[in-house]
Amino acid sequence: MMELLPQALTDGILLGGIYITIAIAFSLTYGVMHVIDFAVGEWIMFGAFTGYYLNKWTGLDPFLFLPVIFVLYFGVGYLIQPVIHRVLSGTKGNPFLMGLVFTFGLAIMFRGLALTAFGFYSNSIPSAFSEGSFDLEPLGLTVTIPTVRLVGLAYALAITLILHYLLKKTNFGLGVRALAQHKDAAGLMGVNSKRTGSYVYGIYVGISAMTGVLLGCILSIGAQMGNEYTIFAFFVVVLAGMGYLAGVPWAALLLGLVQSIFMIYFNPSHTLLAVFAILYIILLISPRGLFGKGV
Amino acid sequence: MKNRGATILAIIGAALLILPLVVHDTFVLRVLTEGVMWIGLAIAFDVIAGYTGYLNFGHGAFFGIGAYTIGILMMQANLPFWAALPAGGVAAAVVALIAGIPTLRLKGAYFAIATWALSRAIQQLALNVEFTGGPDGMRLEAFLNPQFFYYLMLITVGATFAILWYLLERAPFGLKLKAIREDEEGAKALGLNPTKLKMQSFVLSALPTGILGGIYAYWITFIDPSSTLGDLVSDQAVVMVVFGGMGTLFGPALGAILIFAFKTIFWAYLSDFQLLYLIILGALIAISVIFIPNGLWGTMFKRKADATRPQHQPEPASEPAALSAVAAPEEGN
Repeated sequence: MMELLPQALTDGILLGGIYITIAIAFSLTYGVMHVIDFAVGEWIMFGAFTGYYLNKWTGLDPFLFLPVIFVLYFGVGYLIQPVIHRVLSGTKGNPFLMGLVFTFGLAIMFRGLALTAFGFYSNSIPSAFSEGSFDLEPLGLTVTIPTVRLVGLAYALAITLILHYLLKKTNFGLGVRALAQHKDAAGLMGVNSKRTGSYVYGIYVGISAMTGVLLGCILSIGAQMGNEYTIFAFFVVVLAGMGYLAGVPWAALLLGLVQSIFMIYFNPSHTLLAVFAILYIILLISPRGLFGKGV
Repeated sequence: MKNRGATILAIIGAALLILPLVVHDTFVLRVLTEGVMWIGLAIAFDVIAGYTGYLNFGHGAFFGIGAYTIGILMMQANLPFWAALPAGGVAAAVVALIAGIPTLRLKGAYFAIATWALSRAIQQLALNVEFTGGPDGMRLEAFLNPQFFYYLMLITVGATFAILWYLLERAPFGLKLKAIREDEEGAKALGLNPTKLKMQSFVLSALPTGILGGIYAYWITFIDPSSTLGDLVSDQAVVMVVFGGMGTLFGPALGAILIFAFKTIFWAYLSDFQLLYLIILGALIAISVIFIPNGLWGTMFKRKADATRPQHQPEPASEPAALSAVAAPEEGN
């Protein structure tokens, strides 16, 4: 069993790398809009299916469509956000509760739509990278790295760096960070919370959809895949500490490791239980995340 | 208003009690039994969601836990139904207690998604362990007496309604929960213990749900992870309460009746399009949130006026007085 450990660790790190992209975008949206989006897994699922069908119709590699999918879903997110904003800035009832309920309703609707359109079967997206793999035999390690997972990691790094640049070096990023700190004060300083929120939500939906394509190439796609990824996204954000972006990569890597270790050593269908158990213990011991820096 | 309301309630109660004597159609009785059950599930959900302001998106987990507890106790421990039934409620309450300890200390968003994750995890557990029968589910001893189940469901739901009505609308407990919903820090400053109160309301919400799950299991005689622990139970509870009106007892009951009636008609005529039902449920939640954030009941009777601002009455005043006191300035806006 021990000889499988290096392989499990490698798989986990490569998978965790991809989760970073979802979790950062998810965390960013929470920071700006102060609402958890229950539909995160459904955006991933929609992206994956878009990639699947584009590949089927054109025969081109799904990776070529990533920019197209980003632009498409950026538009969708940009158009949906004003509705969420309206719910959140309502005066009747409890806007925060309503925001949560609203995204929950969206998630149910999207899942129903996907099941209607795509059925219950699951598939995987073929890509030029799906076949090849690197062997680390010469280095004395019994580890095989599928090319597609390596590409996935490169993608994750690129997205993370771009988001980092956007947040730390541009005026737009300054506005986003200001909004996350204090919404009213940011508004007084001339940050348009409505428009910035739309951009952030669009970016988040776009990234989630793109990541869905990668997950579809590496693992599989199905109309019910969204559930799992919503829980994963939440897991990463809570482990990192809500709103603490710097903790996200570590939490995402941990999630990848948990998942791959369960796939190799235990029953993979117990992954969710393990994830929940870890979540439970972390919330019990350190409610503000692994690093104690969440809000 | 109060007297008229009581009269209407008494008439409805009496009508429901004598109904099985008039109606002999088993199908109608079956539909009514399930409708009554959904009223119970919706008002139990509303205790934590509407009154306390903590959304539990995994309410179905308690229903399933109750169902499975009774199934296991009756079929594997050979306990009689009456001995197993309270255990179903207790099991749900204990799970609520354990799950609530870390999550209820935190903000609502954690709780909402953690309860949802818990319900997914429990469903996965039921699918993978031996003693639940896994994906094949579990058969219970059949007891085919529709009248018995109708009355059992009616009495359970009626008792739940009466107890919750007393606790939430008459006793100070309801006001304390509302205080937490409006301003948790403020409630703490007034000397309330929000963590304890939230735990109490979560357990209060889980207990009747578990019992109803148990009755359901014995009534339907077959339970499996997708029918009792699946998303649909939680999703329907959410839509009933949001559509009917959160933070009241009549709102969820009204929502439960309307949504369940719709579901029955939909499944009777459009059973080929079951997935469409999921889409409609989701769309209904989203649309209710946008257009009737106070739900049907709240919009019709403007009872939710007290939801937007804290009540300042030193002691629980009677409903109409409290209503006019806070509703008056609201009208001017």
